[in-house]
Amino acid sequence: MPRVTIALLMLTMAVMLSSVPPARTSQPAGLEPQGNPAADECLAILVNRSNPVENLSFAELRKVFLGEQNHWSDGRRITLVMLESGKPERQLVLTLIYRMDDKDFNAYFLHHIFTGDIHAAPTTLATSTEVLKFVSNVQGAIGYLRTTAADESVKVVRVDSVLPCDKDYSIRMHPKSAK
Amino acid sequence: MKYSTLPQIRALFAMKLIGRMCGRLMLPLLLGMVVGTPLLCAQQINAPSDLNQQTSQLLLRRIDQLEGRVTELEAALAKTATAAPSPAPPQAALPPQPQTEPQAQPAESQGMDMNKTLLRIRGFSDITFHGNDHIHDSPQCQAYTCFPSSFTIGQVNLFVTSDLSERFKFLSEIVFESDEFNNFGVDLERMQLQYSQNDYLNISVGRYHTAIGYYNTAYHHSTWFQTTTGRPFLFEFEDKGGPLPIHNVGASLFGRIPSGAVGLHYVVEIGNGRDSRSYVPPLGQNATAVQNYVDENSHKAFNVALFARPDSIRGLQVGFSAYHDVLTPGVPVRIGETILAAHAVFIRPNFEWLNEALVIRHTPQGGRVFDTPGGYTQISKRFGSYRPYFRYQYLNAADSEPLFPDIRLRAGPSLGVRYDPTDFVALKFQYDYTSLRANPAINGLALQAGFTF
Repeated sequence: MPRVTIALLMLTMAVMLSSVPPARTSQPAGLEPQGNPAADECLAILVNRSNPVENLSFAELRKVFLGEQNHWSDGRRITLVMLESGKPERQLVLTLIYRMDDKDFNAYFLHHIFTGDIHAAPTTLATSTEVLKFVSNVQGAIGYLRTTAADESVKVVRVDSVLPCDKDYSIRMHPKSAK
Repeated sequence: MKYSTLPQIRALFAMKLIGRMCGRLMLPLLLGMVVGTPLLCAQQINAPSDLNQQTSQLLLRRIDQLEGRVTELEAALAKTATAAPSPAPPQAALPPQPQTEPQAQPAESQGMDMNKTLLRIRGFSDITFHGNDHIHDSPQCQAYTCFPSSFTIGQVNLFVTSDLSERFKFLSEIVFESDEFNNFGVDLERMQLQYSQNDYLNISVGRYHTAIGYYNTAYHHSTWFQTTTGRPFLFEFEDKGGPLPIHNVGASLFGRIPSGAVGLHYVVEIGNGRDSRSYVPPLGQNATAVQNYVDENSHKAFNVALFARPDSIRGLQVGFSAYHDVLTPGVPVRIGETILAAHAVFIRPNFEWLNEALVIRHTPQGGRVFDTPGGYTQISKRFGSYRPYFRYQYLNAADSEPLFPDIRLRAGPSLGVRYDPTDFVALKFQYDYTSLRANPAINGLALQAGFTF
């Protein structure tokens, strides 16, 4: 193989690299942060009431949702709950927390279950009621719902020490994208 | 995955019905029998009185037993009715399917339900058409599949996992594959029992992929996950001529290291290592590389790996590993084997860049030291369903290398494209150029269809 050919190939790759998207996307289109969003725009992160966790940093939340953290501080295994495909809440979580689409999400979990890094795929539920019931019954569960759908059967955790809908809360959706 | 609760409801209803029958029908009936028995016995002129007493005692005991049983059933029924949702059946491997009802995790103390399987199975396979422009008889070419153009059935891989409890997990890869003699065989490529105390302490025993570098634990026996049609030849499997102890049988500890945003992880492994006789060509005819049952010597192979996944650069992983074993290809010959590896990879859904370098050092007792350096770089970017990629790989072993004299120099680029028409099928087209020492270079083409099922 002539060296010129190798050099051309490397050059091609360099051009492809130049179009790599920036390392961290800020907010997706239609999900621009608002000053004080309405309750229906905020996504609450829910855990079981017996879970000692009160607050998660956004980095910790990512690790939990990505399966990089598999256990809570009390040693109990984390069971991740996702709403089924097509729900705006799921779309928001995929965009903000995972930074993936549905296809990448499936491929990600399939690969990491295969390597043994992740214990099991997330449990997928169809409705908010099911998520509430699941999180309230399973001690290691973590899920998400609109703040208006949460009730006292579960615990809402702070993210970066901020409660849902408080100023600077990061997991919220624009009303247009929620409809 | 949807799980019906109808059988459970039916079972509960049956239990309830039995309980009611026992309580409302059987009990009066038996009481009536007890009351009536003396009268009936009185009519039997020749019946001995001690028999009547024995019968009464038996019946009373039976009543006590039935009353106890009714109490147990009622208690069980009440407990079941007030408990949380029924124990969770095993989750689907992927893709996640909607579930209609919330399900609780299986408790540690829960008994085994023989009517449920704990297994989750997912399959992977591929079919490849490949060819090259050189077929010659050198040992080097024989060792590295300089075959005529052929359709090749790839590995049919059944990936089986099972949650034995909240802390114990079983994982295995059962692979059916054909060899260069067109014979099919079955290999248990991975078989691990894993215990997870927490994120910082996990223990695994069984047969695993040695944590040398990055590729070996990131990609196992499925081409579907890999961007390219095959593994870098540095990480090729033992029975395909690869120079590394890809598999090992033993125990490993792994987990995170409290390190904040640095994201440090560790792996410590101890195992049988590779059978040194398996290095000697022709491939696979002298010994099986993986020492599944007995080690060739009492010295165990050690491997330590450390890597970081910093929070600040999502997708970056850097790390190194050190492996050591003592090989005894012949008595009293002993060869020390040390493998030092380092890697830096950057992986995001749309972009990947893998870089690895390692050196394999063989130190025959009382002889000279042989260092075999190797490495590869691989880069790819996704454009919709297409992912073009480029890889350059290098491996350079001395001609007099005591364990793999047939490898010599192998270096060259690969260029290809992966196309994913669906989530479950990947089509790949790859060109390989491989330069060899003292032999003509090889140009190869491969067209592969990989899939998961």
